Amino acid sequence: MTTGAETIVAGLEAAGVTLAASVPDTWIGRLMAAVRGSGRIRAVDVAREEEAVAVACGANLAGGRGAVLIQNAGLLNCGAVLAGLVELYGLPCFFIVSLRGDYRDPVYYHAPKGRVTEATLQAWRLPYALADRTGDLAAQVRRGVEFAAESRGPFVLLISGEDLA
Amino acid sequence: MTGRKPFLDALAAHLGPEDVLVSCLGANARWLPHMKVAAPVFALCDSMSAAVPLALGIALTRPERHVVALEGDGSLLMSPNVLATAAAAGAPNLTIVLWVNGHYESSGGQALPAAPVDWPALARAAGLRHVETVAAPAGLGPALAAARRAPGPALLVLPIAFDPAEAIPPYSERPAEIRTRFKL
Repeated sequence: MTTGAETIVAGLEAAGVTLAASVPDTWIGRLMAAVRGSGRIRAVDVAREEEAVAVACGANLAGGRGAVLIQNAGLLNCGAVLAGLVELYGLPCFFIVSLRGDYRDPVYYHAPKGRVTEATLQAWRLPYALADRTGDLAAQVRRGVEFAAESRGPFVLLISGEDLA
Repeated sequence: MTGRKPFLDALAAHLGPEDVLVSCLGANARWLPHMKVAAPVFALCDSMSAAVPLALGIALTRPERHVVALEGDGSLLMSPNVLATAAAAGAPNLTIVLWVNGHYESSGGQALPAAPVDWPALARAAGLRHVETVAAPAGLGPALAAARRAPGPALLVLPIAFDPAEAIPPYSERPAEIRTRFKL
């Protein structure tokens, strides 16, 4: 049986993603394990999330397709690079972000991040969607990658741990 | 100690059309449009610390090109973690050129925190194997040639004089122009 993580990776592959830059958390780590099983996507481990954004943008500039796989804590670190690189230069940048701290997350200390994540996305004017595991996850990923490419900007797909099962 | 421009001239002279140049914000990015550079150039005007990971993404995607990333010491001090990221990625076609003058030149010449950072030691500790300090512009050509031959990413450290009177031109290209012109 195909897991949600494998379906998401299939969506990345179908969208032509060639590189996934990541700082893992528990959920993103599971997703990256699936990415590492892909023969078409290069997994790049970075030390901070801002680096992941720039690495993905570099891949896009070089003719590949980059994606950023990080936790929402890391997304909150990325305001400056989103403004000063992605927005300023008009570069596509597709994110898959683990939405820690919402009602589905059993870990109490993530709650403050969960409370501010969508509000921050809206304040930063980042287009985003909540993954819907009752629908076609691969198609949601593919649409997000295409949106970023066509709009020359960011797109954030928020996922929960349940989406990876 | 030599100023920036002779080093930048020497670097440009040793880049070919098959190379790629990514510049951090500040003086280097402001000089480059006024120079003859054979390599495609992507120059930042904001986003401190983005030059090296941006170059890394290019290098990993286009392994047949040698990618040179220009970074300043103030910018790298903000995110020295990228040295470990570059070392882990292991791209042999990435050379980082670090300009060390102890000042945030683009924001008015304020001094960096007064710590005597040993950049070569820090880079080696982060896992970079090929690290060389280049004391004079004449040494940059041989150092870049050695960096190209290195089996992993390389770091060249350039100690340069801080000259608050340097007549640095203003930014003369807008980001959309830079992006549009950047073709590999």
